[in-house]
Amino acid sequence: MIFSFETWQITFFSLSVGFLSTLLILPFGIPLAWLFARKDWPLKSVLETMVLLPLVMPPVSTGLILLKIFGRRSPVGQWLYDRGIEIVFNWKGVLIAMAVMSFPLLFRSARTSFTEVNPRLEQIAATLGASAIKIFFVITIPLALRGIIAGALLAFSRALGEFGATILLAGNIPGKTQTLSLAIYNFVQLGQDAPAYVLLAITVGLAFIFVWSSEWLLRSRRGR
Amino acid sequence: MRLCCRIPLASFDLEIDVTFDAKVTAIFGPSGSGKTTLLDAIAGLKKIASGEIEVNGRALFSSKRGIDLPPRERGVGYVPQEAALFPHLSVRKNILFGARRRSLEPTVAAIGMKHVVEVLEIGSLLDRPVSQISGGEAQRVALARAIVSRPQLLLLDEPLASLDIGMKEKILPYLARVRDKFAIPIIYVTHNISEVLSLADWIVMIRRGRFVAQGPPRQALRSTPALRDLEEEPLDNILSGAWLGGDQREGTSRVRLASGREVVVRYAEPPAGQTLQLKVSADDILVATKRPEAISAANVLPGTITQLEPLGGQVLLEVEAGGIFSVRITAAAVNRLNLTVGKEVFLIIKARAFRVL
Repeated sequence: MIFSFETWQITFFSLSVGFLSTLLILPFGIPLAWLFARKDWPLKSVLETMVLLPLVMPPVSTGLILLKIFGRRSPVGQWLYDRGIEIVFNWKGVLIAMAVMSFPLLFRSARTSFTEVNPRLEQIAATLGASAIKIFFVITIPLALRGIIAGALLAFSRALGEFGATILLAGNIPGKTQTLSLAIYNFVQLGQDAPAYVLLAITVGLAFIFVWSSEWLLRSRRGR
Repeated sequence: MRLCCRIPLASFDLEIDVTFDAKVTAIFGPSGSGKTTLLDAIAGLKKIASGEIEVNGRALFSSKRGIDLPPRERGVGYVPQEAALFPHLSVRKNILFGARRRSLEPTVAAIGMKHVVEVLEIGSLLDRPVSQISGGEAQRVALARAIVSRPQLLLLDEPLASLDIGMKEKILPYLARVRDKFAIPIIYVTHNISEVLSLADWIVMIRRGRFVAQGPPRQALRSTPALRDLEEEPLDNILSGAWLGGDQREGTSRVRLASGREVVVRYAEPPAGQTLQLKVSADDILVATKRPEAISAANVLPGTITQLEPLGGQVLLEVEAGGIFSVRITAAAVNRLNLTVGKEVFLIIKARAFRVL
């Protein structure tokens, strides 16, 4: 009875929303990381600090900010609600919380690997007639790819571990918004140790796989 | 070709205004003169404060007319010092990177990759990853990549400087071949006089961002400001010739110079092509006023002194002896032999003093 339907349901829900959130942040995180690695503009460091804030802020505070932004009484929430999209207290809330909390990890790793790409290569590619788009996709991205994948893996694992922001924005509704972390908390609160330990083992296993592969990627990049 | 630009740099402003029309133009000057900056400016990789850059009558930059073409539209093939091959692509993909560019001028004919690969002898490298070729090979691949992109102008940034001496001697003949086989004007940056003399037909000398002199290399190098560098720099004569045959047991080969005169050099394997290049240091040539006899040196070349340039305690002679030889001897030797311009002398060169490149 240990590997119950519920256990699988929770694991599957966490993995799929975590995966979606990683997919969601890639098209924003990669160009933004490139901008920060290659361009300069006034107040760049202020913007950079803001992007990285969720990394150090208490997740609950981030969750509260998100609740205020996406709650139905805010203009954004109202605008979305009018178009039939509700973020708060359903799986989309989980998605947003995960995306916001894991974004800085992808951003940081991608920015570092863009910085490590020799700008001379991009310049020479330009003299050979390549457009900015071609240079980005044929030179820059492939050379930074390991760092980007490592960052995406880290972001994914961070998304799976998300708790504070999720519980505020999406609540802890079994079968609807309950992720691995929320479920462990729930089972412990209810005194049901056995299912809590099963979920615990799953989270440890997943975290191990992700951190290990991300480190492996970064190591072999340096080895090249 | 017109290069006129002002570029503010950290320690000085690069200011230059020259017009020239040559097949190979050497930008010559000591390290830190702003030579690479100048190439970057021509390629559009460095911001120019004001000025004008014109190649084959086409303005690449003009602050007056508000023209500033982006690098991709300049049609300039750039071979930087460090080759800058794309490390994640094979040699073949590197060379073909710029191949699909439409030519900017209909007169610029496409140069096929096959031809370029043959001339530079890199056919066996094509399917290798870039990480598995040597420094000299990387330079040739970078050169091929630039040529295949159909440039109207090739920029070479000290292609020999990043290589060790042995390598250096192997890439020089390829540069000469590029000059001779493809009708692309070349601007070549260097701080090495021997390279200038063997490759360039025009030289622009700069020092700390300022124009010093320009002209045909031998003439311009004689103008005094540049000669201060000549006293201590290694100075080599580089001569083209045809391989006539060799005798491994005797340890010698015979080479016919462009003038028709034959010289004996230490034995070398026959070169791949018809022509080869010989190098002999200006310090390894003896001067005699009478034909010496019973001497081990294989080459005794009669000639005439055409130039005599004092460099501190040393003197740089130019001797026409079936080719122009630069010879560097002490002032004492000049006085003892009473050497003057127009005097007939014999140059004595050991077979082993020649190196086949």
